[in-house]
Amino acid sequence: MTKNEPESPILEVKAFTRRFGGLVAVNNVSFTVNKHEIFGLIGPNGAGKTTLFNLITGLIQSSSGQLLYQGREISQLRPHKIAGLGIARTFQNIRLFGELSALENVIIARHLHIKSGMLTGVLGIPPAPQEEHKSQQKALELLALVGLGDRTAEKARNFAYGEQRRLEIARALALEPQILLLDEPAAGMNPSEKQQLSIFIRNLRDRFNLTIILIEHHVPLVMGLCDRIAVLDFGQLIALGEPSVVRNDPAVIEAYLGNE
Amino acid sequence: MAEFFSTYGSLIVSMVLGALLGLSLYLPLMAGQLSLASPGFYALGGYIAAILSTKVFTSTSSLFPIPLLLLEMLIAGIVSGLLGVAVGIPALRLRGIYLAIATIALVEILRVLSLNLEITGGAVGIFGIPQPFQTPIEYLWIALPLLIVSMILLYRLERIRVGRAFTAIREDELAAGAMGIDQTYYKVLAFTLGAILAGVVGAISAHFLNTWNARQGTFDASIIYLTFVLIGGSRTFLGSVVGGMVFTALPEVLRSVADTGGLPTWLAQFLRDGRLIIFGFMIVVGTIFFPQGLVTPDLLKKRQRSRSVSQSND
Repeated sequence: MTKNEPESPILEVKAFTRRFGGLVAVNNVSFTVNKHEIFGLIGPNGAGKTTLFNLITGLIQSSSGQLLYQGREISQLRPHKIAGLGIARTFQNIRLFGELSALENVIIARHLHIKSGMLTGVLGIPPAPQEEHKSQQKALELLALVGLGDRTAEKARNFAYGEQRRLEIARALALEPQILLLDEPAAGMNPSEKQQLSIFIRNLRDRFNLTIILIEHHVPLVMGLCDRIAVLDFGQLIALGEPSVVRNDPAVIEAYLGNE
Repeated sequence: MAEFFSTYGSLIVSMVLGALLGLSLYLPLMAGQLSLASPGFYALGGYIAAILSTKVFTSTSSLFPIPLLLLEMLIAGIVSGLLGVAVGIPALRLRGIYLAIATIALVEILRVLSLNLEITGGAVGIFGIPQPFQTPIEYLWIALPLLIVSMILLYRLERIRVGRAFTAIREDELAAGAMGIDQTYYKVLAFTLGAILAGVVGAISAHFLNTWNARQGTFDASIIYLTFVLIGGSRTFLGSVVGGMVFTALPEVLRSVADTGGLPTWLAQFLRDGRLIIFGFMIVVGTIFFPQGLVTPDLLKKRQRSRSVSQSND
């Protein structure tokens, strides 16, 4: 569907490099993600995919290069500022607030959408209570959306692995982001769950008018779901394009299957 | 009843003040920051009240005017808050045990300053701080409302955006940042709220104790307040309140046990003077066997549930 629309870039990665001592985790990577696109990021283990996510969300700083979000340079901003601009993420190793309930996890992510301060909040002066109430409603809606609507009071750490991944997505959506970064959303899921997830992600994109960037190891899922794919290997971008093109790229085949 | 209050009046007020000091340590802990700075701000607040009431607000009436006491509390709170922000911004770059060490250093700096400055009365301290009340128990008129208001505000705080930001930082700082929460701001805020409360309590205590010196804000006090929170419970403000009350009363209880007679001399001696050893031992044992303290959110929930079950059975 993006093919028919004029392509407008929302995120531009320009010559991004990140060194950890002697190791170049991300090496001179450039690509552009268009609005309303589902953009896949694949590559063997250690290719630098999660490092790239951490760079985009400001958890680590780039050694050199630029990051433009809606035309604005954001590579030096701190994580909460980047989240505030509308870039939300999930984590590869799941970082829920384990001791808190599912509902609390999602309400915390409504932080940016409650404007009332400490004093009005503590004293319950309008509109603070209304805002709190609205946040709770919104959080409950999101929990229902990811299929956890009947377990909102349960502690996050008691959820099964796949449920925790969905809870993380609900939490990220509570930020009302423009861009959603999903780090291995299908990890640990069986084939039918993966199929459902694929449909779910596409629905999310359409319903919330999102741009989605996802890291995924499961190649069939990525090929079926993504509009375009970037392939990283040892920190370098070795291929970029539509799934059909990337699939037959000799460099990609070599990275995944090795050289004879 | 009157006899009870005249005997235990001081202790009851001390318990309420202890609960407030527990809360002053609990506040930064809400945002996961282990700060031992409370005694420093407590001492600062006390000196402010002591200096103001003996040198500035010299009144001729036999009882020190209560509005002036309230004004001192306000000033103590503001000064402690400002110092809290100034210290918090650099110190809260440190994490965990390093922050704890830095806050101990702050307490020590303030202690050494107060020992050597002229205005604080050097090692002797400040004597004859005027009394706003006839009897110690009447300090409850100030301390108890302060405790109740603090508890209500904390109860509310835990249920709104700011309190949730604290909790998020405590649970996972990195994830909190990814949710748009400015970690530095909320850490400094939690630290400063604790500092303000400790300063205000110091201002009350200076009058209550009648004398104020460098022994008020020491590392020993840091450990005692830490016991309030760690053993009482660090996950709900009720834990700190209960901890503050129980552990303020405990040395008195131990002393009366020691005085009952029939105990070996060394044991009686230990019960009387071994407060810090006992508290230190409890911190060690407590962190192993009940890391969240004795009063935990789960415990409170369970109580609520069992009560509603028993009601529905009636």
